[in-house]
Amino acid sequence: MTEIVRDQTMTPAESPVAKTGPDLRVPFGLALAALACVAPLFLGNYPLHAIIIALIFLLPAHGLNLLLGYTGLLSLAQAAFFGIGAYASALLAVHFGTPFYLNFLAAGLVTGAIALPLGIPALRLRSTSFVMCTLGFVIIGQAIAKNWISLTRGDMGLAAIPKPYFALGPASFTVSGTVGFYYLVLAIAALATLAVYLIVRSPAGRNMIAIRENETLAESVGIPTWYYKLVVFMISAVFAGLGGSLYAHYLTVVSPLTFQMYYSTTMLIIVLGGGAGTISGVIFGSLLFVGLTEALRVAPELRMIAYGFFLLALVFYFPNGFAPLIGRFWSFLERRK
Amino acid sequence: MVYTVIEQVVNGIVSGSVYAIVAVGMTMIFGVLRAINFAHGEYYMLGTFGAWFAIDYFDLPYPVAVVIGVVATAVIAVVVGNFVMQRIVGAPAEAGVLATLGVALILQNTIILVFGGSYKFFSGGYIEPVTLFGFTLAEQRILIIIVGLIVFVGLELMVTYSRIGKAMRAVSQNIECCAVVGIDVRHVALWTFILGAGLAALSGVLTAPVNVSVYGGMGELITFKTLPIIIMGGLGNVRGTFVAAMILGIAESLVATYVGLQFRDTVGFATLMLVLMWRPHGLFSAQARF
Repeated sequence: MTEIVRDQTMTPAESPVAKTGPDLRVPFGLALAALACVAPLFLGNYPLHAIIIALIFLLPAHGLNLLLGYTGLLSLAQAAFFGIGAYASALLAVHFGTPFYLNFLAAGLVTGAIALPLGIPALRLRSTSFVMCTLGFVIIGQAIAKNWISLTRGDMGLAAIPKPYFALGPASFTVSGTVGFYYLVLAIAALATLAVYLIVRSPAGRNMIAIRENETLAESVGIPTWYYKLVVFMISAVFAGLGGSLYAHYLTVVSPLTFQMYYSTTMLIIVLGGGAGTISGVIFGSLLFVGLTEALRVAPELRMIAYGFFLLALVFYFPNGFAPLIGRFWSFLERRK
Repeated sequence: MVYTVIEQVVNGIVSGSVYAIVAVGMTMIFGVLRAINFAHGEYYMLGTFGAWFAIDYFDLPYPVAVVIGVVATAVIAVVVGNFVMQRIVGAPAEAGVLATLGVALILQNTIILVFGGSYKFFSGGYIEPVTLFGFTLAEQRILIIIVGLIVFVGLELMVTYSRIGKAMRAVSQNIECCAVVGIDVRHVALWTFILGAGLAALSGVLTAPVNVSVYGGMGELITFKTLPIIIMGGLGNVRGTFVAAMILGIAESLVATYVGLQFRDTVGFATLMLVLMWRPHGLFSAQARF
C-alpha cells in the first residue's frame, strides 16, 4: 500500500491522469447518469425510496462540502438549516397552499436570510468555538420548533404537507408516486451538482481553496476572506434549506426532530466518507450512506453503533474518505492500457 | 418572593456543581488533547448506569454503587483512551470531532441495545429533606455541593503540586516542547482522559437520586450543557469553568421558574452566543488560545 497523497486542490477533470490517455471518467459518468434515469424500470419502491433519501441528503451535503471541503470550515449547522428549510416550506404549503416550486425557492431564500445574521457572529470565531456555535444553532432551532407552538404546533409537528404540485395558469399536476418523486429529486440534485461545479470551477472557487489552505496568506494577497466565508456559509445554508424543503414534501410531516444532531452527523459522513473537496466524492458518499443504512436495517441501535465504528474507521484509516481509493482504481485501469 | 429567588439560586448552585464536575473533566481533556469530547455526556450516563445496575441487580448500598459506577466508567475510559483518544493528539480538529461523535454513538447505543431504551428508576441515594437556615433541601443536594467543592480543591492541589498534574499543565501549554523535554504526551493524555471520564461518571451517580430516571440517551443532553460551559469558561481553564458552570446553573434555575421550564435547556447555548459576540475567546481568558 502506498500512502494516499492528500491532493484536493485539483478537480478530477484536470488531474494529471486526465491529461494522459483517454479519460474513463466521462463515459463512466454518462453511464451512471443513464442508469439513474432508467433506475425505476428495474428497482422496486423500497430501493427507490432509499435513493430518494440519499439524493435529498445530497443537497445539504453539497453545501457542507463547499464549506468544509473547499473553504475549510467545519460546521455542524447543516441540521439547523435543513430544519429551517423544512419548516419554511411546510408552513407555506399548509397555510397558503402555494405550489411546490414557490415553497422550494422560498425555503432556500428564508434559510439564506437566516444564515446571514447567524454567520456574522459565528464566523468571527476560530476553529473549535466555531464548531460549538454552529452546534448551538441546531439546539436553539429545535427549542424554537418545540416551543413556538402557535406557529409550529410544537412536538406534534406539521402533518399533511401536500405532495409537490405544480401549477402554471390553469394547468396543474401533482407528483404523488415514488417514481415521480424520484425524477423530481434526481433533476434537482443534478441541477444542484451543476451549480456546485460552476461555483467550484469559477475564480471564486479558487479563492475558497486558497482560504482553506492558508487564510492569512489568502488575506495578504488581497482575497476578501471574510466576505467569502460569509457568502459560502450562506450558500451552504441555502443548499441545506432546499434539501429540507424536499424532505418535508417527501415525508409530508415535519417535527422538531428535523433539528437533530443525527442529520449533521449524516452530512459529515457523506462529505468525509466520500472525500471532502471533491464533487464526485460527495455523490459517492451519499450512495455509500444508502448502502450503509440498507446493510444495517436489522435494528436501529445496531445501525447507530455501526455508524460510530464507521466514523472511527473514517478518521483513523481513511482521513481523505473512500473516493481517493476509487481514484487510484481509475489510474490503475488507465495505466494498464 | 425573595425566599423563592434565594431558593432557586440554591437549586442553581446544586445543578451548577453537577455541571462543574462534568465540565472540568471535559475542559482538562480539551487542554491536553485539543479536542472537544462529544462523548463526554456518555461517561456521565455510564457512571449512572453502573450504579443503577449495582443497586438494581445486586442490591448494593448507594456508596458502594457510586464506587462501582465510577470504576466501571474508568475501565471503559482506559479502552477508549487507548484506542481512540491517544490517536487524536496532534490530529486536525475535525478528527477529534468525528472520532468522539463516533464513540458517543457506540457507547450510547450499546447501552440501549443491552438494557433497552426505556426509562429506569434509580432507587439509591439520600433523599431525606433537612432544614438549614430556614431552607429545606434534600440531603443529596447538600452532598452534591460538598463533593463539588472537594473535587475542585483536590484538582487545584493536584495540578499545582503533583507530578502528573504539572505534566498536564505543561502539555496543555505546549505539546511540542513537552515532547522535546521527554514528557510522554500520550501517557499524560490517557490519564487526563481517564480522570475526566471518571469525574463525569461521579457527577452522574451523584445526580441520579435527584433526577430519579436513568436512560440510555441521557448523556447527550449533558454533553450539550457542558459544551457552552467550557467555551464560556475559556477552553482548558479550570477556574473559569467552575464560574461558568455556576452562572449557567443559576441562570437555568431562574429561567425555568420565571420564563418557562421548556426554555431551560437553551439557556446555555443562547448565553454562549451572547458571550461570544462580546468576547470571542470566552469570559475568563485574556486572549484567544484555540
